[in-house]
Amino acid sequence: MVDQLPNLGREEEMLKEMGVASIDALFADVPESVRMVGDLPLPDAQSEEELLADAKRLLGANLALGDQPSFLGAGLYRNFVPSCVFQLVTRGEFLTSYTPYQPEVSQGMLQAMWEFQSLISELIAMPITNLSLYDGSTAAAEALTCAVRVHTRKAEQKDTVYISELTPPDRVSVIHNYCQGAGIKVETLRHDENGCINLDDVERARGSCAVYVEQPNPLGIIDGGYPSLKEIIGDKTALIVGVQPVSLGLLEAPGNYGADIVIGEGQPLGSPITGGGPVYGIFGCTQPYLRLMPGRIVGRSIDVDGKEAYCLTLSTREQHIRRHRATSNICTNETLIALMGAMHMSLLGPEGLEQLAVRNMAACTQLKRQLAGVEGVTLPYDGQSHFNEFVVELPASTSACLAYLEANGVVGGFDVSNWYAEKTNQMLVTVTDQTSQRDLDRLVDCLRAWAQEVSA
Amino acid sequence: MSRLFEHFGAEGKGYAQPSPMLPATELDLPSNMVRKQLPRWPRLSEPEMVRHYTWLSKRNFGIDTGFYPLGSCTMKHNPRVNEVVAQLPGIADIHPHQPEHQLQGLLSIYYEMQDMLAICAGMDAVTLQPVAGAQGEFTAVRCFQEYFRHRGEHHRTKVIVPDSAHGTNPASAAMAGFEIIEIPSQEDGRIDLSALRAVVGDDTAAMMITNPNTLGLFEQDIAEASSIVHEVGGLMYYDGANFNAILGRTSPGLMGFDAVHYNLHKTFSQPHGGGGPGSGPIGVKEHLAPFLPSPIVARRAPTDDEKKQCVDDHWYTWHTPEHTIGKVQQWHGNAGAVLRCWAYYRRYGKELRTMSEHAVLNANYLRHAIHREAKAAGVDHLFVDGADTIVAKHEFTLSLGPAKESLGISAMDVAKGLLDMGYMAPTVYFPLVVPECMMIEPTETESKETLDTFARDFCKVLQLDAETLHNAPTTTPVRRVDEVYAARNLCLRHPFDDD
Repeated sequence: MVDQLPNLGREEEMLKEMGVASIDALFADVPESVRMVGDLPLPDAQSEEELLADAKRLLGANLALGDQPSFLGAGLYRNFVPSCVFQLVTRGEFLTSYTPYQPEVSQGMLQAMWEFQSLISELIAMPITNLSLYDGSTAAAEALTCAVRVHTRKAEQKDTVYISELTPPDRVSVIHNYCQGAGIKVETLRHDENGCINLDDVERARGSCAVYVEQPNPLGIIDGGYPSLKEIIGDKTALIVGVQPVSLGLLEAPGNYGADIVIGEGQPLGSPITGGGPVYGIFGCTQPYLRLMPGRIVGRSIDVDGKEAYCLTLSTREQHIRRHRATSNICTNETLIALMGAMHMSLLGPEGLEQLAVRNMAACTQLKRQLAGVEGVTLPYDGQSHFNEFVVELPASTSACLAYLEANGVVGGFDVSNWYAEKTNQMLVTVTDQTSQRDLDRLVDCLRAWAQEVSA
Repeated sequence: MSRLFEHFGAEGKGYAQPSPMLPATELDLPSNMVRKQLPRWPRLSEPEMVRHYTWLSKRNFGIDTGFYPLGSCTMKHNPRVNEVVAQLPGIADIHPHQPEHQLQGLLSIYYEMQDMLAICAGMDAVTLQPVAGAQGEFTAVRCFQEYFRHRGEHHRTKVIVPDSAHGTNPASAAMAGFEIIEIPSQEDGRIDLSALRAVVGDDTAAMMITNPNTLGLFEQDIAEASSIVHEVGGLMYYDGANFNAILGRTSPGLMGFDAVHYNLHKTFSQPHGGGGPGSGPIGVKEHLAPFLPSPIVARRAPTDDEKKQCVDDHWYTWHTPEHTIGKVQQWHGNAGAVLRCWAYYRRYGKELRTMSEHAVLNANYLRHAIHREAKAAGVDHLFVDGADTIVAKHEFTLSLGPAKESLGISAMDVAKGLLDMGYMAPTVYFPLVVPECMMIEPTETESKETLDTFARDFCKVLQLDAETLHNAPTTTPVRRVDEVYAARNLCLRHPFDDD
């Protein structure tokens, strides 16, 4: 029995008052030829109790990462979200509000989002930030199309952008889908054997509209070559840097080494992984991109009494006003998840962020050290600094290794052959602030035992 | 005022964390990559942080606060058990790259949702990948594009939208590279078939339309419109923003559509969260299924090995269609939102039709009650119906044109007056075809008493004099906000003294 409708059982009373004969009469305007006949072939309604029991049973069949040592990352990172974030974000005033079109009764969310913009601006060193895109991949894609809108008229390589060849294929796929409509050509930039970008190759991107790289890069490498990028590509080409936001507690903010647009997957700040969504995309830029950027922006203003007040601003870029000439089709975004990010950042403070970054990198460094002593396992990019993750070269196939780890109660890393088919023996191993020394020991012991087994 | 950036806790105090495994001095960073100055974030203790966000929440209006008749947005109650479900470790703490056998529960729920959505819309295949309605639109028109390329019909470059369409329709089609042809609606707001006939041709890729339309009227000629577009080889796209009006009574499939997006955050109660997250799955007919993006879940009989890990009689697998357009979001869509909507749908099951019936009942009742109360209060000369119709669907429009002409009271004035009465204002000035438009959608989760009270309060607002209304609201956290000032004096982040 359905229990969500206040007027159940009162239909007659309401219809009578309206002078309408029946519910059917309310649908008399639906022509007979398109009417649905019969009941929907769906199961019976459930009570809250029955639903919850089913949800627990089905979701309980999923393996939650917290139940075992786990080393899966590759773009999403297990974190700890402070308890008060969940408590506060599910307050009905936030949770059940719509986009703040009526600013007088939406000051709470508007101010919170203005503060989110302020926090992110400081984090990435960009003067302008929007209040979120869908995820890191759509943020990257929208950054590229935005850069083309700004630069293509004067560009020597019109409608052309360059992205790192290491960009994960699923992310590249999103980029292609967003870029193809505008006729944008997506070229790739080579990397050296050591996993860092080949700066000579970047010369090719001069005169194009944009260059897109990630820091740390998809192999977890902190690339020390990036501060040279802007000088190589020049002012007429946008430098777009994708970030893991927690890493910026240790790593220089891209805005301080020449980035024009900074994007990122916001998830590690404030949000559980949740199977990959909802998460939130970070988007920040410099002044020249402001009027052609995607997404909603909150501005600080005043009300008629001169009192501090907040409202959506620069809306003329958006679909509900500009329609087919809008800078993006985005309407619904990820505001509530961005709010979780703001809450997490508020609680961390500058030094808390730094410590969080240190914890992530320390666990990564520790695991590298421990694995260096495991026979049969090598680290192809050992000479580089890593954040969160690094590649290990295995003595046999990654799929065999993952099966062995799973049999021993460990969720292994990411099978790199899913990205690059020829890398059948490489695994991207991820650690975060949630990885314990005991987890590391367990992984190392398992890998040692497995390597011995396969080499015997 | 409580301002985040006015909390000046001491350096290094505040939120405590475990010690790192190694001291920071042992971490090896390229010297040019070391951050020189930490972000100038405020420093709050937990008590300060909790109070700040609680203070902000009190300055925000949600469905939980009061009646939220925002047309086109379907602001229905969000059942709280859905939030409990979405925070279970089996969804919050899972990674999209985990192998299928570790995610059988999630996959089975995805399958059930695909199935349910296909049934409700009369479609053959569904993908849960798009994370918002607009992204669903974009995904579908990308599928259209690949479908035509596959057939060698490269000349189909035009997408037709009525002038009353949501802004995302033309924006999404343009983003995919289509040229937009806008056609005028008839005077009553319904689709103009002769205008449609005049623009269709060899170059037509698709028509995008919502039904009921943005005036809350059912497009009775929809099957004819579908035929006109199909006859020239084009495809029909159903914008599911108004799906709450028709579920179980008719379907886009029956109306002749080839593709549809669902706004799970409207019809299936994913909370709007102040602007998101949403979820915008799309459903398509058979001929478009090979072009859909993953994730799509398929199922088969389990092997003996797999039986141990089965959640039911099937084994669920991710499936990538043969000619897929690829991805529009990097992962499996907004899994958390899909989960909430699954929980919501389970509370209705086959009675989803009752949900739509009550949405339409409430809208028509409120329309009736407003007219009834207006007559009683003697303000019925100040507005007219936005559309001439016997019944509306899940929403209806009023034109405050007469109030504007006779008293200088605009739709915006009335909206602001309603804020003072403790309501969220209806949508105003959309659709544009109705002068001084007010678009009202009560949803099915409001009681008769709420609707009656709102109707009376609406008329009370109309009894106020023009000056009072120009000055409204006065009881809200701030009064009318100067949007021009905001745009001319751009202040998009906290200004620091040393900037």
